[in-house]
Amino acid sequence: MEAMAEHSRETRVTGESVADKIQERLQKRHQARAEDAERKKEAKESQSVAEEKSEYFASTFNAEQASIEELLSSCSGADRTVVTQTLEEATVKTLQLQKFLNDSILFLTQYELRRAQDALQKLLASSAEIREEALPKKKFAFRARSKATDKVSAPPVIDTPAGTGSTKVVGAPAESLQCCFSNMDNVCLIKTAEDIHKQDVLLTHLNNCKVRLFGSPSTLHMTHINNCEILCGPVSSSVFVDQCSNSTLAIPCQQLRTHNTTDTQVYLHVTSRAIVEDCHGVHFAPFTWSYPTLDEDFIVSGLDRDRNNWSQVDDFNWLAAGTPSPNWNVIPEAERKTNWEL
Amino acid sequence: MGLLTILKKMKQKEREMRLLMLGLDNAGKTTILKKFNGEDVSTISPTLGFNIKTLEHRGFKLNIWDVGGQKSLRSYWRNYFESTDGLVWVVDSADRLRLEDCRKELSSLLLEERLAGATLLVFANKQDLPGALSKEAIQEALALDEIKSHHWCIIGCSAVTGKNLLAGVDWLLDDIAARIFTID
Ligand SMILES: Nc1nc2c(ncn2[C@@H]2O[C@H](COP(=O)(O)OP(=O)(O)OP(=O)(O)O)[C@@H](O)[C@H]2O)c(=O)[nH]1
Ligand SMILES: [Mg+2]
Repeated sequence: MEAMAEHSRETRVTGESVADKIQERLQKRHQARAEDAERKKEAKESQSVAEEKSEYFASTFNAEQASIEELLSSCSGADRTVVTQTLEEATVKTLQLQKFLNDSILFLTQYELRRAQDALQKLLASSAEIREEALPKKKFAFRARSKATDKVSAPPVIDTPAGTGSTKVVGAPAESLQCCFSNMDNVCLIKTAEDIHKQDVLLTHLNNCKVRLFGSPSTLHMTHINNCEILCGPVSSSVFVDQCSNSTLAIPCQQLRTHNTTDTQVYLHVTSRAIVEDCHGVHFAPFTWSYPTLDEDFIVSGLDRDRNNWSQVDDFNWLAAGTPSPNWNVIPEAERKTNWEL
Repeated sequence: MGLLTILKKMKQKEREMRLLMLGLDNAGKTTILKKFNGEDVSTISPTLGFNIKTLEHRGFKLNIWDVGGQKSLRSYWRNYFESTDGLVWVVDSADRLRLEDCRKELSSLLLEERLAGATLLVFANKQDLPGALSKEAIQEALALDEIKSHHWCIIGCSAVTGKNLLAGVDWLLDDIAARIFTID
């Protein structure tokens, strides 16, 4: 990118003297170097602040955790009133610790967050265990609950006038207004704006298919896709992918949620975030498919064309801080698909 | 004065409620929370941990917890059960394929001791989508009529348009308030 810009600038100045050109180039290079050094320094500084904070978090959290554990272990063999008091104290402390975690969430890595959550979960579980053992349930708990049961009211109907609620059979396709394409092999499926505009589109059980969705759906859901090429116009909210393999997808959307997917390429424009869960071999590149009404469809979708976070993928199964997930990667520029013709 | 009365009195003074929002991933929990609070919903990412928001509504202080619903996060839900006054279960009404998952997750939540006293609001979200199931269909699919352990209500809503979000929250507050702030 930068090299190209430089190059075009150079071609523009061919009329000037060679000395001027060299002078200018040296100047530019010097400036770039200075800027780069500055950037590195800043990055280093913010990195060390983050490290400091997370160190503080870890030591405070561990100390609190240890003190709660101690409280809990002091319960064994103690008499009833002591246990009651100790448990109460432990609960208050655990809730405070939870709050401390909440307040720290901004600078914690996913890994630290999960570890802290696990620790909290353990504390809650063992205090519940102690309570169960030392303090068998009191009567009032039962009474309070059965009272609540007495009061259970018929759910009020809020947004539908009485009588109009037809009993729909769940999932019955006849009644469904969902736009659904399913169970197809070796076909080329083309849909235009009339079919999919502002619709929730579902693609399922497609094998060896080429799919072109020209238009802007509200949302897109695909499951059980194998060996397909699916290109879609801008989706205004989320795209949900499940059980997809050996396929190529190209989609602009607000969120991409990828599950149980393997060996698939995704040419993506995503304005918030893409995630993968239980995936392997998912490869990402920026969205490059184009068709005549793409600009209008982008406007319809409300997606910000200038914000594309295609390379910032969160893997819900990968917690190690600092090490990239082995489950997805970026497609090298030279290997990206550029020809989208059918 | 018993412990329950003391707790009631404490809460009464603060008029504070703790609401827990759960549901499958992609249901629209975070979008509901932000829309209700008047924030931009176009930049929301799938939730990696949880969000907590404290807001004032009708003189109540609401602590709303929105916890991520991805499969790998569901085992952490129980970390948030303690002292929950209201449970908001959010459903993507257009996601027929995962309705059974959704029913199972909800029914196991309702067995949780620590949620026993909580009021349940089910939001049948994404009603703006043409393929969305009606709230009656969701009520049936989730077997809500079988719930005898909790006060519950289902409301069709859309986090994108904001429709019925207020109606749902107001019902929840009224039900909780009647339970915990009654003067004895
Ligand atoms: N059409 C429509 N889309 C919605 C609605 N509510 C949420 N969405 C979209 O659904 C997607 C998921 O919404 P989120 O709020 O991130 O879902 P969540 O329940 O918080 O998901 P997790 O954080 O993974 O548990 C987003 O793309 C939202 O824009 C709605 O009422 N209608
Ligand atoms: Mg969320």
